[in-house]
Amino acid sequence: MAARPSLSRVSRVINSLASTSFSSSSSSSFSSSSSAPASLSPSTFLRRHSSVSADELSHFSGLANSWWDPMGPSRVLHLMNPLRHEFIATCLATGDTSNSTGNTTSPPANLHYLDIGCGGGIFAESLARTIPLTPSVPGTPTRAASMTAIDPSPHLIRIARAHARTDPTVDAHLRSGHFKYLNTTLEELSERLLKEEEAKEAEQPTGGKFDMVTLFEVIEHIDPNTSTPATFLTNALRLLKPGGWLVGSTIARTFPSFLVNQVIAEAPWPVGVVPRGTHEWSKFVNPDELEGWAKDGVRTVRSQLHNPSGSQNKALEWLCCGVMYFPGLGWKMVPGSESWGNYFWAVRV
Amino acid sequence: MSASRSALRPYVCSSCRHGVLAPRRRFSSKPAQNPEIYDVVCVGGGPAGLGLLAALRASPVTSKLKVALVESQDLDKARSWDLPTHEFSNRVSSLTPSSVAFLRRIGALELLDTDRVQDYQQMQVWDGETGSKISFDWAEETSPFEDPRTVATMTENANLVRALLSRIEASGDENLKIFSKTTVSSIENGSDHPDGPDLSAWPVLTVAPSEASPASTSEPPVRIAARLLVGADGINSPVRSFADIATEGWDYNRHGVVATLALSDSEAPTFPAGMRTAFQRFLPALGGPIALLPLPNNHATLVWSTTPEHAAYLKSLPPNAFISMVNAAFRLSMTDLKYMMKMKRVGEEEEVNQHDAELTWRLQHTPQPNHIPPMVTGVQERSVASFPLRFRHASTYISPRVALIGDAAHVIHPLAGQGLNLGLGDVASLSNTIEYAVTHGMDVGDLLSLERYSTERWGANAKVGGVCDLLHKLYNVPGQGPVAWGRSLGLNVIDRLPFVKGFLMRQAEGGA
Repeated sequence: MAARPSLSRVSRVINSLASTSFSSSSSSSFSSSSSAPASLSPSTFLRRHSSVSADELSHFSGLANSWWDPMGPSRVLHLMNPLRHEFIATCLATGDTSNSTGNTTSPPANLHYLDIGCGGGIFAESLARTIPLTPSVPGTPTRAASMTAIDPSPHLIRIARAHARTDPTVDAHLRSGHFKYLNTTLEELSERLLKEEEAKEAEQPTGGKFDMVTLFEVIEHIDPNTSTPATFLTNALRLLKPGGWLVGSTIARTFPSFLVNQVIAEAPWPVGVVPRGTHEWSKFVNPDELEGWAKDGVRTVRSQLHNPSGSQNKALEWLCCGVMYFPGLGWKMVPGSESWGNYFWAVRV
Repeated sequence: MSASRSALRPYVCSSCRHGVLAPRRRFSSKPAQNPEIYDVVCVGGGPAGLGLLAALRASPVTSKLKVALVESQDLDKARSWDLPTHEFSNRVSSLTPSSVAFLRRIGALELLDTDRVQDYQQMQVWDGETGSKISFDWAEETSPFEDPRTVATMTENANLVRALLSRIEASGDENLKIFSKTTVSSIENGSDHPDGPDLSAWPVLTVAPSEASPASTSEPPVRIAARLLVGADGINSPVRSFADIATEGWDYNRHGVVATLALSDSEAPTFPAGMRTAFQRFLPALGGPIALLPLPNNHATLVWSTTPEHAAYLKSLPPNAFISMVNAAFRLSMTDLKYMMKMKRVGEEEEVNQHDAELTWRLQHTPQPNHIPPMVTGVQERSVASFPLRFRHASTYISPRVALIGDAAHVIHPLAGQGLNLGLGDVASLSNTIEYAVTHGMDVGDLLSLERYSTERWGANAKVGGVCDLLHKLYNVPGQGPVAWGRSLGLNVIDRLPFVKGFLMRQAEGGA
């Protein structure tokens, strides 16, 4: 199945675009490829259940060639990336109650990550770099054991894979399967994982497969015609193991953020730092809205799990911290600035 | 513009890469083997290169990085370097307290032979033309019950290099390769292996045993790929050429004459006991300052910046006459000194030291300030040497997968003794940058990682280099004209305003 000539696949993509009928073979191609990521073939471009709008896809695909140019249009995104690692470290430190008994200096690398909307792989690749090459080596601050990164744009996934090969460490993880790029959507991935679970004839659902699911700069790009942020968040939360974190970053829909993100950041050179059309202010999400959706999502996911440990009564853990970009200095965590623009958030299942 | 050109050198978007950077074909009987991959490859085993390696090995975050160092000289000789206690190498540097703190942090300070290291607590700097002076004296700022603060610490470069080598050796040999007596014969971009990683934007070095080492000529050249290639390879840096980084600068048309000297016992005991002083007198008529910096056992090292003609003259003098000239340079007027620089040279067999006779006679007619150094009584055999003074500054310190440190990035006038300190500052900054990159999942060779280093160091080094250049130019205007008047006004004002002086001293100390 995976060895199908790519030409026929392309024509099938066009067919599915024209008829908008869901091709069942495209979803089954994932199960065949899950064990060997290198054999993955380009997948369909637009899908029935996709939460990603077509114009957003084409906008980011257009940026793809300069995605990894440190001076290019994605520079501001690159500069934010180290803070994502710091925020994840904060989550792991605050939520790490189960492992606090063994006070080993270097925690084991046993967390499985999923990055939704990985784009050209800025975060996914940087996280893959922290996976130890040999299991004997002590873990890194991210405690990463594996990374699965998904994006609906085949072009961006190609860019991401090509760039990953320029780092021998990351390349080795790609080859060993500890690091995977999948050209798919959240909905398709959930469906596939559900089928896998059904195939195993599990009597009762045990929750998702991942310890950390990341949604960096994604929630403000979903298509309001096919999905809602609340549904999207719940779908993402379903993929988490109990105790796992959903971590993300987005932009608040406030007047200062309108000024900063729409007027200043997308202004022509030399003022602007992101390409015009990157953001749509009306899609921005305020922290209180997000907190509500995320907590509802956690309650829904917990209620669907038949787990006897009584995790449903556990307190809801929610973290939120604003970040601000200072020209010449870069991004800084600024607690309290959540509603001013960009912010990180995390919720625990 | 040259900065952005070199910054953009290897960034070629992946879809264009195949056409532009076609893998180079090499003539070889067998296909070129894949290069061995290192995280950091440092070219140059001087204080900067070894310091970087020692710093990386000392940090728990970076100690597991796979690192290599390539040095053309024999590092075994540097390891076994030894001199009798009363002899000193003429290549001596002053370490600012922040350099000392850095060496302590990486565990190299304790490996220095402390019997060969000398702190000094006071600095006397004055203008030979106008006599105005500035004394850098921490004693004014500290209470008499405290230990006087150290202005700087004098150490032979060989002592420092040996300590850094021991520090690196103490870290074990896991993930470490030192190519001693090895030359870089080529640096080129790697290639895209279809069944392996794409190294087409990675520097790949071919290293071979230096020609000067016949014992190891049988060793074949080795190819190594660098995630980050560090150029610590001096003023004519091959790494800088590979990265196509332009460098600006000029030659001062001056030479630095160095020597190891023995001093007479000073009559007045110092208070507090053991307090040592560095002396520097600007000699506008002779082209630069003369400095006498203390070494242990009443020794001192000389750095005399002067014209190439004067330098050649001084080097040609017999020891006695050389000593007389040094003593004269701290005591006599510009006119007297110019006269003595033109005196006929006499052979070593000559019984009368005419320079000494001249000095003795002229001293009787020259009033002396109270801040002159003790008389020089001896010069160590074969320690008189000279080197050309130059100013160089690379247009940028970074390029994708390349960073420059030390003399490869900047060469400045030695009048403030800051050269090595700037290099160690680079090392501290670059090792912190690498540490940050590793803990944040960044590629240590990526331009986005390296920007941090360049931002911290380029401006800071340009400032120090610029101030040294300004001082050099200011103190090269001879005579009693307005520049000399302004100079003395400047120094006197600084000397009288404690807070300005305190600021300057903290700058000299090397901290913020």
